[in-house]
Amino acid sequence: VAEQRCAAVLNEALLDLFERRDDVYLLGEDVLDPYGGAFKVTQGLSSRWPERVITTPVSEAGLFGVAAGMAMRGYRPILEIMFGDFVALGFDQIVNGIGKFRGMFDDQVRVPLVVRTPMGGRRGYGPTHSQSLEKLLLGVPGITVVAPSECHDLGAFLNESVEDDDPVFFVENKLMYGRPNRRPVDGRVGGLRCRETGGPYPALVFSGNDFTGGSATIVTYGGMLPVVLDAAILLILEDELFTEVVALGRLAPLDLEPVLESLARTGRLVTAEEGTLTAGVGAEIAARVQAEAWGLLRGPVRRVAADDRPLPAARTLEDAALPGVEDVADAVRSFATAGG
Amino acid sequence: VRAGQPVCVVETSKSAIEIVSPGAGTLCHRFREGEEVELGETVGVVAASEDEVTAFEAERAGGAAGEPEPAPDRPANVTRRAAELAREHGIDLAQIRKPGFVTAEDVESLIAAREPAGVRGRDGAGTLFAGMSLDGVSLPASIELDESVGALDPGFLASLRDDPEAFRALPAQERLERYRANGARIGQRVALGERTVVVAPRIVLDDDVTIGDGGTVACEEVFAVGPLTRFGERLRVACRRVFVGADGWIGHDVRFGGGGAREPWGTLAIGDLAFVGDEVYVNPCRPVLIGREVFLTMRSVLVTHNVGHSLLEGFENRFAGVVLEDRSQVGIGTVVYAGCRIGREAIVASNSYVVSDIPAGRLAIGVPARVSGHASRPLADARRRELVHRMLDELEELLRLRGVDVDGVEKSGSRGLELHADGAVSYVLFVERLDSAFQLPEADGEVVALTLALAGDPPAGCAVLDLTARRVHGSGGTVLDSVREFCRKRGIRFEPGLWRYRGGLI
Repeated sequence: VAEQRCAAVLNEALLDLFERRDDVYLLGEDVLDPYGGAFKVTQGLSSRWPERVITTPVSEAGLFGVAAGMAMRGYRPILEIMFGDFVALGFDQIVNGIGKFRGMFDDQVRVPLVVRTPMGGRRGYGPTHSQSLEKLLLGVPGITVVAPSECHDLGAFLNESVEDDDPVFFVENKLMYGRPNRRPVDGRVGGLRCRETGGPYPALVFSGNDFTGGSATIVTYGGMLPVVLDAAILLILEDELFTEVVALGRLAPLDLEPVLESLARTGRLVTAEEGTLTAGVGAEIAARVQAEAWGLLRGPVRRVAADDRPLPAARTLEDAALPGVEDVADAVRSFATAGG
Repeated sequence: VRAGQPVCVVETSKSAIEIVSPGAGTLCHRFREGEEVELGETVGVVAASEDEVTAFEAERAGGAAGEPEPAPDRPANVTRRAAELAREHGIDLAQIRKPGFVTAEDVESLIAAREPAGVRGRDGAGTLFAGMSLDGVSLPASIELDESVGALDPGFLASLRDDPEAFRALPAQERLERYRANGARIGQRVALGERTVVVAPRIVLDDDVTIGDGGTVACEEVFAVGPLTRFGERLRVACRRVFVGADGWIGHDVRFGGGGAREPWGTLAIGDLAFVGDEVYVNPCRPVLIGREVFLTMRSVLVTHNVGHSLLEGFENRFAGVVLEDRSQVGIGTVVYAGCRIGREAIVASNSYVVSDIPAGRLAIGVPARVSGHASRPLADARRRELVHRMLDELEELLRLRGVDVDGVEKSGSRGLELHADGAVSYVLFVERLDSAFQLPEADGEVVALTLALAGDPPAGCAVLDLTARRVHGSGGTVLDSVREFCRKRGIRFEPGLWRYRGGLI
């Protein structure tokens, strides 16, 4: 069976949700047919359920408030923010409202809101349409952040998010939309073994040598996974360095169990993310791992991330600013040469 | 199409933009309708002339017929090192059937399996090596000797054991004669130092073996040494079985043995051309296998067990052999702990403490020793050439300082030295690519040619040192010997390997 593209898998999951639950609404810009959303994820929804798909003006700050209100009144709104960069416009609603209402009102209200939004660059969209800002959402109390990769069960992730009684940020990736949803088949993805952890938003753990240890564990998520998997295979074929790759499903709250389990086999950790380096997801992971598993670490945690500067639009400059396959591979090689 | 005519519409999430033709010509499509195209791909060209259209059609036809993608030089799951090894050893990668990736280790196990069982030692997996892997270790030929070779008369052996001091006091020549007379195999020109005694049921000392003064060798089963091997003064050996290869160099105050030396697993095997530095201590109560051309430098220590408190109280208690694979090096003052294996051509830096295996070809350093890089680096041809030129400069200087009358000479295709020694004119030449057509200089002495690439048979009338194949062709005298020794000091050893410098120009 040919693997479906990620956008089509998400689209099917949405159609299915609308079919099953009549309290699910979708709000966003340009989401109506025939256009069907900037990345075509909402195609077909408005034709079948015109009253439940609401197209809005360019008004993110207000949109977050409207969606939060709907959620508190018993609906299950899904808010599509066309580019993740524009989440910044809703930050007051997110930080001072959506995440806090339940706690401030002593569980008398819940905000079962799902915010779907694509992050990530490598498409030449320039500094304000290419960022990976999910790290800004980490540490905002009361919200869950999930960031499935192209190997995760995207439909299950979306269902889980909608079923959640509390707010969930569902981070998608622009390049992922056009790529096949490469689910593990017989415990393998391509040439690598792949295990899926349990729980609602499972992590995936990849190994080229049957989980018999290796040079490092590389922890990543979302759109960075294909880059990391390419690096892992490059390291095997060119350097005979085996690594384990952990693709987290959920970034907040952070569950490091699969990372620590892999680290026990490898002793070294690399974090890889497409967002900027400083105060990134990798920084949080590194801080927690050193506190929880100092004894497992045989060297410093190395972080691979984007340069701390605005992303250029020009392809060559953008490529230089974003972490690539060689950056990830070099981080692992640096352990071998430093002996760390 | 005309210049300025719209030929294509690009739709984005925000807008639709018409692309117009930059000039007049014929629009050629690179893709069919509905085909998917990678971002950044050229979808069509405007051909200015009929010729350009024809060229475009030809290119597209060619691209469709023969996939332009280069065929990969190996299957997608085979590592670069595995593919290189397989090529080098003529291994068919199709034999390896396993899920996942094929690594150098997989190929190496096939190479090992190809060698006949039991080679190198009559009980390869038995007590002699306690089941240790012999991969990567070339053991001395004496291991293959039949058990009857060199067996001493039991009465003579008993007298040696009862009163070694009386035997020790005998003149060297007489000791050798008595060994011979009582069954030991002792070759020509063997030298046994003053007050040195060897006590073992089987003794084999091949031609030109030298053991310095004041040595004591006590083996429960056998002491066998290959030709040209030298032991320095005050050698102390206490080990069940000792096999030393040919042309080895064992320094002064070397000690093989210690606690557990009589244990049944005690085998010490040292391959040909090995170097064991002064004051080295090896404790072989479990097998210690030292490969060919290994450098075990001064004051380093190989241990096969520890001493300590009860293992039942959770203390470490280990008995395990040590392996130094071929061409590996152990730096000055380094300790290698029981159970460790140092891979082929790996180097452990001085004063390190090795507590885990060191992979082949890597450089390790520290306490505990950790891999910090590669033991060697690949050299470009130009760099190798430059290094040979530098060696010649150095040789010229050395010869001059030694009082040899020497001049630099340069001819087309070669560069070298003209030597006046022993009343004759000799030449040492570097010819990068040497073939039989090379014009030798007139010389009444020797002509020694160094080369990086020998094509066909070496030219007659000269000795050739092939620096790449590490092979010597032809014969010579003092000049060849001196150059060969000069190369040896720079790590370049030539086959045939059994050779010793007996003095000369340097």
